[in-house]
Amino acid sequence: MAEMTPAELLKAENEKPLPFGDGYRLIGKNYPTNDLMAKVTGKAKYAEDFRAEGMLFCRLVLSPMPHARVKRINAEKALAMPGIRGILTPQEIPGAANYMNDNGVMIKVNPWAERALTDQPMYQGDPILAVAGIDELSVANAIEQIEIDMEPLPFVTDPLEAMRPGSPNPRSEGNVWVRPKNHPGPMQLANLKWTQKDFDCYKEGRLPEGQAPDEWSYGDLDAGFRNAALVLDETFITPDTSHQCLEPRSTMAYWQNGKLYLYTGTQSTFQTVPAIARWMHMDEDKIVFISEYTGGGFGSKITGAITMIVPALLSKKLNAPVMMRVSRREEHFIGRARPSVEGRVKIGFAKDGRITALDMFTICDSGAYGAQGDGASAGSIVSLLYQPPAMRWRGVNVMTNTPPRSAQSAPGGLQGIAILEPILSKAARKLSLDQVALRRANCPEGPVEYGPVNERTGKRAHVTSCFLKQALDMGVKSFRWNERVASKPKRIGSKVRGLGVSLSVFHGGSIGFDGLIVITPQGRVQIHSGIGNLGTEAVIDVHRAAAEVLNVKWDACDIIWGNTAKHMPYTCASGGSQTTHAMTRAAHAVAVECVKRLKEVAAKSLGGQPDEYEVANLRVFRRGGGAAMSFAEAAQYAIKLGGIYDGHAVNPEVNPATKKSVAALAGQGLVASARDDYPHNGDSYSFLACFAEIEADVETGKYYIVDYQAYADVGTVVHPAALGGQILGRSTLGIGHAISQDWVIDPQYGVTLAERFYENRPPTILDVPVDMKWNAVNIPDPQTPVGARGCGEPPVGGGCASILNALSDALGDNIFQRAPVKCDTILTSYEAGRPMQEPLVANI
Amino acid sequence: MGLIKWTTSPWGQLIPEHVAWYLIWVAIIAGFCFMIVHALYIRAFSPRKVFAKNEAPVAPEQVPERVPRHSLAARIFHWVMAAAMFTLLFTAFLPKLGVHFNWILYHWIAGVVLTISIVFHVIHSSFFQDAGSIWPDKTDIRDAFRRLLRFTGKPAPPPTRFAKYPLENKFYHLCIVLAGLAVIGTGVFMLKRINTPFFTRNPYVFSDMTWGLMYVLHGLAGIALIALVIVHVYMGLRPEKMPITKSMIFGWMSRDFYLEEHDPKRWAIKQSKQSQKKRGLAASDAD
Amino acid sequence: MAVTMAVIRDVMPAFDLLQPTTAADAQKLLEKYRGEAWALAGGMDSFDWLKDRLRKPRVVVDLSGIDELKGIRATSDGVEIGALTTLTEVGAHPLIRKDYSLLSDAVEHVASPQIRNQGTLGGNVSQDVRCWYYRGGWPCYRAGGETCFADTPVGRNREHAIFGADRCVAVHPSDSAPALIALDAKFVIRSSKGERVVDAEDYFIGPNVEITRINILQPGDLLTSIRIPSSWAGARFYFEKIRDRNVWDFPLMNVASAMVLNGNTIQRMRIVVNAAAPTPMRLKAVEAAVAGKPANAETGEMAGNMAVKGAVPLQFNAYKIPLMRNLVKRAIVGAQEASWA
Repeated sequence: MAEMTPAELLKAENEKPLPFGDGYRLIGKNYPTNDLMAKVTGKAKYAEDFRAEGMLFCRLVLSPMPHARVKRINAEKALAMPGIRGILTPQEIPGAANYMNDNGVMIKVNPWAERALTDQPMYQGDPILAVAGIDELSVANAIEQIEIDMEPLPFVTDPLEAMRPGSPNPRSEGNVWVRPKNHPGPMQLANLKWTQKDFDCYKEGRLPEGQAPDEWSYGDLDAGFRNAALVLDETFITPDTSHQCLEPRSTMAYWQNGKLYLYTGTQSTFQTVPAIARWMHMDEDKIVFISEYTGGGFGSKITGAITMIVPALLSKKLNAPVMMRVSRREEHFIGRARPSVEGRVKIGFAKDGRITALDMFTICDSGAYGAQGDGASAGSIVSLLYQPPAMRWRGVNVMTNTPPRSAQSAPGGLQGIAILEPILSKAARKLSLDQVALRRANCPEGPVEYGPVNERTGKRAHVTSCFLKQALDMGVKSFRWNERVASKPKRIGSKVRGLGVSLSVFHGGSIGFDGLIVITPQGRVQIHSGIGNLGTEAVIDVHRAAAEVLNVKWDACDIIWGNTAKHMPYTCASGGSQTTHAMTRAAHAVAVECVKRLKEVAAKSLGGQPDEYEVANLRVFRRGGGAAMSFAEAAQYAIKLGGIYDGHAVNPEVNPATKKSVAALAGQGLVASARDDYPHNGDSYSFLACFAEIEADVETGKYYIVDYQAYADVGTVVHPAALGGQILGRSTLGIGHAISQDWVIDPQYGVTLAERFYENRPPTILDVPVDMKWNAVNIPDPQTPVGARGCGEPPVGGGCASILNALSDALGDNIFQRAPVKCDTILTSYEAGRPMQEPLVANI
Repeated sequence: MGLIKWTTSPWGQLIPEHVAWYLIWVAIIAGFCFMIVHALYIRAFSPRKVFAKNEAPVAPEQVPERVPRHSLAARIFHWVMAAAMFTLLFTAFLPKLGVHFNWILYHWIAGVVLTISIVFHVIHSSFFQDAGSIWPDKTDIRDAFRRLLRFTGKPAPPPTRFAKYPLENKFYHLCIVLAGLAVIGTGVFMLKRINTPFFTRNPYVFSDMTWGLMYVLHGLAGIALIALVIVHVYMGLRPEKMPITKSMIFGWMSRDFYLEEHDPKRWAIKQSKQSQKKRGLAASDAD
Repeated sequence: MAVTMAVIRDVMPAFDLLQPTTAADAQKLLEKYRGEAWALAGGMDSFDWLKDRLRKPRVVVDLSGIDELKGIRATSDGVEIGALTTLTEVGAHPLIRKDYSLLSDAVEHVASPQIRNQGTLGGNVSQDVRCWYYRGGWPCYRAGGETCFADTPVGRNREHAIFGADRCVAVHPSDSAPALIALDAKFVIRSSKGERVVDAEDYFIGPNVEITRINILQPGDLLTSIRIPSSWAGARFYFEKIRDRNVWDFPLMNVASAMVLNGNTIQRMRIVVNAAAPTPMRLKAVEAAVAGKPANAETGEMAGNMAVKGAVPLQFNAYKIPLMRNLVKRAIVGAQEASWA
């Protein structure tokens, strides 16, 4: 166990669930968010809704081949067509370059990185050209006249096929991503093929385990297996799933006075500017980025998308604003997806269900560009969530000529949990243990350790806190688990029922960002938010912490978001569910700073010492009565004072980017900025216990989710309605992985077949129960002032795995070993009595 | 209007899909035009055949009354092939002309029959017949030249009588061989594109481009066969060719016709006892 | 090396939009432009084709303004439904719900509520197949090409046919079609030669007949209405659709049947399965075999086994055989509904 602070020494098991908003005025209470009316009335403007004078439209031309070399493009005919203004070719895309990250670390150029347009497409759908014209019809007509001289190159779409001896490589340099030895830098592509012998188990449906470049372990694995009462060795495959953001990554751009104005959807408004600068090879100061509303990101738009520079470059070239609308089909290709992880787990259990040893092997299909961390993350999440005393993880990260992947809600978390949970269910049945009991036996509690020993520190990482047992107990009670288990009939007619429980976890926070508040001379509390408005409401919600500290009513606050011209503090990227944690800390810090400055201003203006003053109800007043001034008066006086009070001087601790914003706002009121430097020991994770009941018809393979409930340990609940949306929404995202959503690719041509919603089947609202329930234990995280952690991603794994577990409870073991489980799989195994169909073939 | 109907592959590549179907009409019209022109020519000029005297004439009595010409095996081959050919042509092209039915089953079965019969024919004619008799020889070429000169009114000696097959017949056979080999050669591979007792369907044994070219060749040869078959049937029905046609049914031709048209030196008929007895009905192919 | 032509989707090509207000005018326009015309009903199939630029008609004849093609009327012998009647209306109409609930049940399983508000009955029966190769613009048999990409050693064919495949292995995607065939409906088609009425099951054609078409409509033809005779009114109906999602999904398979019983003895029955073959499959042998037999599990088992005789599975669709067997069985004995207290 890691070194404990006093707060951590409090035994986690003694903590009891608290009512929401306990001890707070605003935190933990529902309220209409500032963007709500615009969203429900349709007034909200997404990137595609913006128009500019003389705006042109451009469309992308996508590669029809999964791997090819573009030798020549003949666009003469197209360019001569009416209404066509120009094209953009791969040669006009700025080359990749080294760049400096937030922390001043130089990131080396990655020679295998994706580019906005390419003349060596790595997947079918890779953009190779863009055409601009006065309208999309003219552009489409012109595109069909373009002749491209393309040389098809060898390709592979199935990660296991890429590992076979003698198989083609997805790229001439190799097929697997490996970490370079002894120097930091991008993962490198290397050639690694397994032997024919490694593939011997393939025909039995067991995942081959060849040489793996990545490996870690801790504990005595052999002893763990030796002492186990039950050892299982199971294969499970999770699907590739597109992010399916309802808003595709459409972008509009224009140039004015040497500045680029770019409109697109993003998860992280502030953090997208450096991405644009990097991809465009230009100075961040020359970029104005507008992203008021984003129709979903789920990890695919953490800092926008690389294709957003296409209209920016075309706009510069053609000297006119350019709108690039991205269609649903195009979004399938350039819109990112979760990598499939093919997993094999050997796991030992003691008689009481406690895991004794866990040996996990993963193959991560990283797609066309860049190594994905999902396999490694799956290993780490498994070690945290099930606390095996001894564990080994091995992984291989395979490139394929399939659309590029990126993080998707709980990257690796979903896959690790979906791979492990059905095995736990099987073990509970074999050991005649209750499913909840087995999970409780392995459930983490308190500031537990996880993952491998860090080579540098010699220690294992640990979490800030974990109250998952409380969440599990809360769920058992609310779901009436024991009663349902006791009363479950075996089978009625052709119908069988199944109950499933799953634990779930994912990252829930980061630290070290800035807050920025202006008290205006009119007395408004103007909070600048660099968070993206991606639908989680974190863009607004986190600032409830500032209002709480400032002791003001919420309607006195204005949230400034969605436009970098309005100046923003250094803000985290909204990925990894870090925002609620990171930015409530920053909001708390800046509010404390703001209170401090308000008191100083009051003291300077009204006399006395700052600590004799208090702040409440938009006033600064002397304790015990007497002198007081309103926020408006304080702001006006702050402007008079200048310096640190109105932004002419800046808090030296804040990030340079915040300093720039403060400088730009100088003189507009009392300008306060601060950095979150609160102590923080451990890594912040949020946990859930998820419960599901399904009913399956064994004659048709069709099943329905009868009930679903999720119980969360996310620290302090900031905004219950938004949290409920996240828990049930992301559960549904996970449920989609269990029931319907996947990819279909023809391996002969390497071409995607399921391009549309009705073909790749994301879950609909009618696929989940109408009355899904959630709750949270609301026990504050001891390592953060507001006590709150993020909860975007943690529910995803539990949503998926609780359904899988309920299915295996209903249907028995060995019916499926891949997700999603559809009626064809169930019927093939259950009714037709055949072995599972093609258990290891990808994208069927 | 190109000769080829193009399409785009799943990779967007321009590839030939098949021959342009209007060529079916071109072939039908060409066949009938030939027929009409030929019929008019015969009718208008009623050209008489003039042959040089046989260098070594044979006495009529040395020739059987019924000159054996086609063995039973050869005749069966011919008619089986004809039936297969008609089936193939109708099943191939009627659907393209708007008569829709389940054509592919009959087409591939007929194709297999045709292929087997041709394999039989090649073996049979190579080892059990005078395989050379169907190929043009020097005399044929010389005579053809002489005929051409005489037709254009230039002085030339009369051509000799024919060997077993007139030159036109030999040319026709050559055309059929070329077109037939093309359709069969491509057709056998095409069997791989449907499920049959011979193969499990797998269209990926060749590239899209190779298949495209194969379809074009198959189509072009098939369409050529339309014209060739029209001409052949027409010739077979012409009165002056009737003895030849009949010989394909009964196996023999009359002594008179033989002596009139054929050069016994180039196509010697020996009167065997057996053939005498059987009046040549089942003549051997001792030639 | 072959030249590659750039492809763009999701932009509708330009066409002349013609909006007749009478069926006669619509038919004349279709006749006038024949192969260059596209008849547009609810647009749920049409817009895909147009947006994907895989169909580029010169004119689109928009039928939505023709009132005479809409609505549901009682006739002396049953009911007549205008081809342009939306699926929502068909599903909600009291007359249909009362006597022909097989049809209301079937249409309520089509796609999603939004699509049913827009989609029409005529469109639902006339829509094209949903094979993803064909819809993706691959040069397959059905698209006039020379191969089937779904029926190859690596083809992705979990949704494809187990019966009636002839080069093309796509299945018919309609939910209403099998119900209409089971109800012995008649399709009324208007052409330049006048009106003709065909049996519902004769409306659909498979690849063995003509591989590039899915129904008998010739250029210039207009499906105007669907008549359901009263011969099966109030019979015991069964409809079940199996799909991956609970909504917005084409059938992996569906079954529609109408059964007239005397006591528990089946007097006569019509049963149709769709998404098993390129056309809705009426199971005449099953109909004949069950006549006179009791509507019990034994007859159901027998019928189910009989129905799947001769099925030819592809690599990924063998599950359709037990699925069809069970659906046919359930059409006779019904699904055993669980009552979970």
